[in-house]
Amino acid sequence: MDLSVEVAGLSLRTPVMTASGTFASGREFADFVDVRALGAIVTKGVSFVPWPGNDSPRMAETASGMLNSIGLQNPGVEAFCDVDLRWLARHAPETPVIVNVCGHSVEEYVRVVGRLESEPHVSAYELNISCPNVDEGGMAFGTSCSGAHEVVTACRAATARPLIAKLSPNVADITEIARSVEAAGADAVSLINTLLGMSIDAGTRRPRLARVVGGLSGPAIKPVALRMVWQVANAVSVTVIGMGGIMSGEDAVEFLLAGADAVAVGTANFVDPTSVERVTHGISGYCRDHGIARARDLVGGLIT
Amino acid sequence: MSDRAKATLEHVTVVRNERLSEGVGRIVLDAPRCARAVRPGHFVHLRIDRDASELLRRPFSIHLAQGNTVEILYQVLGAGTRRLAEKKPGDTSMDIVGPLGTGWSMSDATAHALLVSGGLGAAPLGMLAVELARRGVAVVCAMGAPTVDRLVARDLFEKHARRVECATDDGSSGHHGFVTDISERLLDETAFDVVYTCGPEAMQRIVAEQARARAVACQVSLERLMACGVGACLSCVVTTRSGRKRACVDGPVFNAEEVVWDGSETPPRH
Repeated sequence: MDLSVEVAGLSLRTPVMTASGTFASGREFADFVDVRALGAIVTKGVSFVPWPGNDSPRMAETASGMLNSIGLQNPGVEAFCDVDLRWLARHAPETPVIVNVCGHSVEEYVRVVGRLESEPHVSAYELNISCPNVDEGGMAFGTSCSGAHEVVTACRAATARPLIAKLSPNVADITEIARSVEAAGADAVSLINTLLGMSIDAGTRRPRLARVVGGLSGPAIKPVALRMVWQVANAVSVTVIGMGGIMSGEDAVEFLLAGADAVAVGTANFVDPTSVERVTHGISGYCRDHGIARARDLVGGLIT
Repeated sequence: MSDRAKATLEHVTVVRNERLSEGVGRIVLDAPRCARAVRPGHFVHLRIDRDASELLRRPFSIHLAQGNTVEILYQVLGAGTRRLAEKKPGDTSMDIVGPLGTGWSMSDATAHALLVSGGLGAAPLGMLAVELARRGVAVVCAMGAPTVDRLVARDLFEKHARRVECATDDGSSGHHGFVTDISERLLDETAFDVVYTCGPEAMQRIVAEQARARAVACQVSLERLMACGVGACLSCVVTTRSGRKRACVDGPVFNAEEVVWDGSETPPRH
């Protein structure tokens, strides 16, 4: 069974990656999965200086999903290089590492990329222009064509490594944003980030999240994610990485059929820490059962 | 705090599930790998129902581990614990991730330890009482609960502690009032080397202050809303003097001196 795929010029062993913010940088899951067997590791969002994140409560469970409002808490790029990258270089030397990059300003994205350019164990960057949980940066860039274009253009000038733009679903037409980041030089788009939502405790009349609103993830958003992946795959020619509620191999296959070249597993990691391996085996099983020799032959195979 | 253990995903079988009092139960699970690895203060992340619309696991302290089994005390507060209360012996529908977290730290220099529990806060103190007694530490327990039938770990503590004192909100057993009244008196009477506490955060905060005022070391076990339980999602952060820490891996046990009691957290109702 050939599960290998090409993503933005990178050769991945399998089409299954981790979704940013759900897998830390792999170390936390080393008791449960072989991090060397992943298609790629996409790290938690990394900013130039440490970010403290939002106040608690930061999480609320919802029907078939969850809301989070973490706010990109991270120790900054220096600590990321010292701890996370060092661990990855030692324990997963062959696994492509895609660093999720965030910033409050265009300049901060560029500074993070600039700092990481000298790190040999970074394979690509995923530009987080879609986090709904910060007041500045994040989704503010990803919900306008000009903002998205500006971040990607500035980072494009700072690196020759593959650039992936992570897209927000909280827009009227996601294909417009996808086209603008493609025009700015992105090698791939990944979608979808979380859907902006909220949860209320009727008993206390209070919001369940300290920041009131948060990002919805999990199987509840899968139909929206599939629709957007299908639309974007038909609108751009760059690589598409699909995600949103993937819990099983069959879910992943649906994203490939919709036009994704690879997939990422997110919230499922919280429910079952072995999810990335389970999803990978599930894709293999599907291919075997359907007489498909190469998983990449599933891409865009939707019959309409 | 004590070392973390290697965690595994393990399918479990219900050995026993019994009601202890109104809304409080004890479930015993056959979980050999977890039972072997667990240390006092660790927790498990339990998947109660694979078909429900609630996807996330629920964290529970391990109260006791014996042979191949682990024992959990639970309070029925939400949809997950309601279904947990209905599980029958022989049920194989659940799995756990565990043992997780950083547990209680035990020093060889400790001769006298005070354990202070509030309600189900007795759960993570069970294994600790057993282990301290095994090491020859003189253990004194102060237990608080709303009523006498909610003093759920009393038998265990009475078996392993030199002395157990109780407080109930309604006066149905022991002191009519708060357990913190008892802990304050005990701390004045005896030179304890360490205080271990778990219960409502307001109670733990008072106990921590009582210990601090007498220069006695204190460890607290904190509860937070959790998604992953393994340190990735950053849902369960605790504000500490060295920044926000994860209750699931850096805790749930913290040195009381480290904790900044900002009162921002609402107790989970799962």
